[in-house]
Amino acid sequence: MSSPHADVQPVDTRRVDAREKVTGAAVYATDLHPDQLAHAVLATATVGRGRITGLDTAAAEAVPGVLLVLTHLDHLDLQSPGFVMGGGYGVQSLQPLLDEHIAYRGQAVALVVAETLIAATQAAKLVRADYEPEPFAVTLDSPGVERLSQPAVIPLPFLADLDVGDAESAYAAAPVQIDAVYDQPAQHQNPMELIGATVWWRGDTVVVHEGTQNASAIRHGLARQLGIDPANVEVVSPYTGGGFGQKNSLQIHIAPLAVAARRLGRPVKLVVSRTQLFHHTSFRPASRHRIRLGADEHGRMLAALHDVEHQTSRFDLFPMMYTETTARLYGIGDFRGRQTFARMDTQSPGFMRAPFEHPGVFAFESAVDELAYAAQRDPLEFRLANDTTADPVTGEPFSSRHLAQCLRRGAKLFGWSARQWQPASMRADDGSLVGWGVAAGAYPASIVPSAAHLVASADGRIRVGVDGHEMGQGIRSAIALLVAENLGLDVRHVEITVGDTRVATQHLTAGSWGTASTLGAVHAALRELRKQLGADVSGPVDLAAAVGATGREHVESRAETLGPGQTEQDAERARQGLVALAGPEFTGYSTFSWIAHFVEVRVEPTTCRIRVPRVVSVADCGRVASPVTAASQVRGGIVWGIGACLREAGEVDPRYGGWLNASLEEYPVPVNADIGTLDVDFIGEPDLRFHPVGVKGLGEVSMVGVAAAVANAVYHATGVRHRRLPIRIEDVLAGTGLPEPRL
Amino acid sequence: MRPFAYTTAGTAVEAVAALAAAGPGARLLAGGTTLYDLMKLEIETPPAVVDVHRVADLAGFDTSGERELVFGAGARMADVAEDGRLRRDYPALTESLWRAASQQLRNMATLGGNLLQRTRCPYFRGGEPFACNKRRPGSGCAAQEGLDRSHALFGGSDDCIAVYPGDWATALVAFDAEVDVLGPGGARSLPLARLHREPGDTPQLEHTLEPGELITRIRVPVTPAGRGSAYLKIRDRESYAFALVSAAVALTVDGDGRVGECRIAVGGVATRPWRVPAAEQALRGQPVSDASARAAGEAAFAGARPGRHNAFKIELGTRTVADAVRVAAGRAVR
Repeated sequence: MSSPHADVQPVDTRRVDAREKVTGAAVYATDLHPDQLAHAVLATATVGRGRITGLDTAAAEAVPGVLLVLTHLDHLDLQSPGFVMGGGYGVQSLQPLLDEHIAYRGQAVALVVAETLIAATQAAKLVRADYEPEPFAVTLDSPGVERLSQPAVIPLPFLADLDVGDAESAYAAAPVQIDAVYDQPAQHQNPMELIGATVWWRGDTVVVHEGTQNASAIRHGLARQLGIDPANVEVVSPYTGGGFGQKNSLQIHIAPLAVAARRLGRPVKLVVSRTQLFHHTSFRPASRHRIRLGADEHGRMLAALHDVEHQTSRFDLFPMMYTETTARLYGIGDFRGRQTFARMDTQSPGFMRAPFEHPGVFAFESAVDELAYAAQRDPLEFRLANDTTADPVTGEPFSSRHLAQCLRRGAKLFGWSARQWQPASMRADDGSLVGWGVAAGAYPASIVPSAAHLVASADGRIRVGVDGHEMGQGIRSAIALLVAENLGLDVRHVEITVGDTRVATQHLTAGSWGTASTLGAVHAALRELRKQLGADVSGPVDLAAAVGATGREHVESRAETLGPGQTEQDAERARQGLVALAGPEFTGYSTFSWIAHFVEVRVEPTTCRIRVPRVVSVADCGRVASPVTAASQVRGGIVWGIGACLREAGEVDPRYGGWLNASLEEYPVPVNADIGTLDVDFIGEPDLRFHPVGVKGLGEVSMVGVAAAVANAVYHATGVRHRRLPIRIEDVLAGTGLPEPRL
Repeated sequence: MRPFAYTTAGTAVEAVAALAAAGPGARLLAGGTTLYDLMKLEIETPPAVVDVHRVADLAGFDTSGERELVFGAGARMADVAEDGRLRRDYPALTESLWRAASQQLRNMATLGGNLLQRTRCPYFRGGEPFACNKRRPGSGCAAQEGLDRSHALFGGSDDCIAVYPGDWATALVAFDAEVDVLGPGGARSLPLARLHREPGDTPQLEHTLEPGELITRIRVPVTPAGRGSAYLKIRDRESYAFALVSAAVALTVDGDGRVGECRIAVGGVATRPWRVPAAEQALRGQPVSDASARAAGEAAFAGARPGRHNAFKIELGTRTVADAVRVAAGRAVR
């Protein structure tokens, strides 16, 4: 990132809150221990679906220290918060503890509150429920799954079928064709910070501390559930220990905690256990993708058909947007997208990092690789030959698209030119099969209404209160760098408050729109501040002197910004705690972030273990707002992609429902020993058509395409194509008639 | 977790007395890395726990003996894994320790406790609503018709196919280790091979210790095959995971390149530590070659009884044994 002021020292780009996080000084929501704190634990249903016919809480209530056991028999008097993707605020519309119906195994049947965590834990295990079980379905292949075409049940323009040209005819006529089905399992985010909250009442105001990406939804959703004024809900979330989409809405425990805190007149804390977390909140739905691609003899892609189905719950339709991104990867003139729900008996799935783009692009970029091989082309050359500058869906230009540059630079850093085209042709000294794979990724750029409030002080410091949530991605660092660079300040003189409904609305931070939205507002507020201070429109400002010259202690500025094309209606939606986003299609252009991944795998010749010694990723995210945290974001995305391709799956036993491997021991996220060298680079070209300081999104595009690049590398290593994730040792073992090595 | 009585013991004798005084169902606590876990899940609900983790006479270990290696049951896995003599002369034992769990767990966990580590079968650990004869005798075995990818090929019964998860005992059983125990009736010794039980129709009974007995020592007879040994572990990730398949191989190679002494055990595939004499027999006296290594692997898995999702472990295990034979032979003194 270049400094706009040649006479100013380069700013310190380290993560501004690194010390707090590393030393434990950063206080997370469930670190709080207010006076009189009571502890809550959930008891959960053991049937896959059914009805509670009897509930015995006597033993639980008899445990010394137990204060309260809340069940559906206690008439919690709560409304549904509504589903966050259905005009509401909740992670799902179903609020447990309101009636006797059990919609999925693991659903809460009681909230036990006690003086100590130990007593609450013990008592929760003693809650006994009898059930009348009902049949249920929990996998895409289970009988009883209900299939619904998305546009038939949610007739909204952005969820419609995608029809560009006549893909079926173009595909039928294409001389080179690929028709393949790709299966991907349900996955669970497992953020390091467990889901949890500390809740108390101050008079008529309920105060909620919870690690969240969406303080505003908690505020408005909880107000709706309790039937109170949103002005009487205060949400504080200065740090979130990993969100990944799981913390993007009102969780189902907040309202019962508010009821318990009110009945007891005490603060109540709940930390959902790791095992319960698999059942308590959202997850990435299982999905199945049929991809048909056609190309001509020269390697030009002519047609693509992408048919998807993904799981959702019986009570919510988690909308899907897989084809929005796969239609934009290449300049394919004829594209057809069809998206179908498969309703079954789980909690509602939701957004997990690159929720549609990772699975959709895994399928699509695997198929593109298959097509490149069918057309006898180098997979990198094949991708470059199908690049485009215009959005094939709208016909408008992309505001920026440096995908080809990402591919070329990545190829150079990786050493792609030394690759042998023939699969199973490269070997390492130890006899391992070597595979090199490439894949592209994209993610739509969105932006939301945002507000910033700056207070410059006579001591030369500046306070920033702004919309946005710090969930590890480094939004504080991005804000601090923008302010410090703009005014020529030391970053340590910038104090930032985010995630706090007392300083701003706190619209959902997700979808990789956080940095662009927040920085847009801060940028506008800085412009206003310069006016207030009588400073030039650019160049360093001696803040202490400038504030001093006004004769006041503080000089303030405010700005409220909208995304391109947004109106006051969007701002009002945001103020109501609703999602109000613009993009990726804007008037006259479309905006996406882009990335290219290059992966080396080594497959052990005897036992077929797959290792990933190195990855090179080059991203086009516009201006890099915070280089240190941006590179961390990409490295994290790569690790997620490796995990998604080779490790992670929520295991389901159809006889029981719920999730079987509900722990970090049994749900295998990658460990350090699984990860080799990760090389990250950025194009760094600001996108000023989309954004006043040129920022697009980064957090999610980082992951998009990684799994395909790994799987493509496995194909290159072994000559066997794997279309079901995760690729496990038995898949490679079965598919590979490898000769055993010589002594 | 349920409330329980907690006492500590300063010596092995005190521990045995405390265990007797604590009454039926009392459990010994050493590193706590398994027991506390299972107590939090309420899979284990002991009314009393006797903490032996500070018992000094259990803590030491001595790998310098001329006839046997002696390991106190309270020695920490991490400490023993780093022992120089063991690393040089018994690499399979070292590898079985440091490929287990994580560094943090190995710092806590003890050798004796590790021997009796309980299964990772998800239906056992998952609690209600899963049928599990081991956890609730008579309730059935959900794994038989369920997700049995991690389950046993050997030693299972209609009532239970849960895998014995340990690495250390798998390596030890190959070396004919002995276990010393102390109980109300005094001290006795038994071969490690007789410490664990197959599930049969009583899968809740996992070992042959009498009530009130404490493992005090593990003894391993000195053997030149220790030098030529290897413990290979194949798992779903490169650390912090249990074995899909593991193989402990120890051998000597004589002057004309033939295998002399030969010891082979496999892990991750059986309901108890699983020595495979047929594989040893197949290899003994044979020249070290790809063919003989493969033949040993095939012999090791000859009687396997796979379920729905774990048949791949036969070929994977065969190859793992063959790999371990190759590595061990490469290390063997000739």
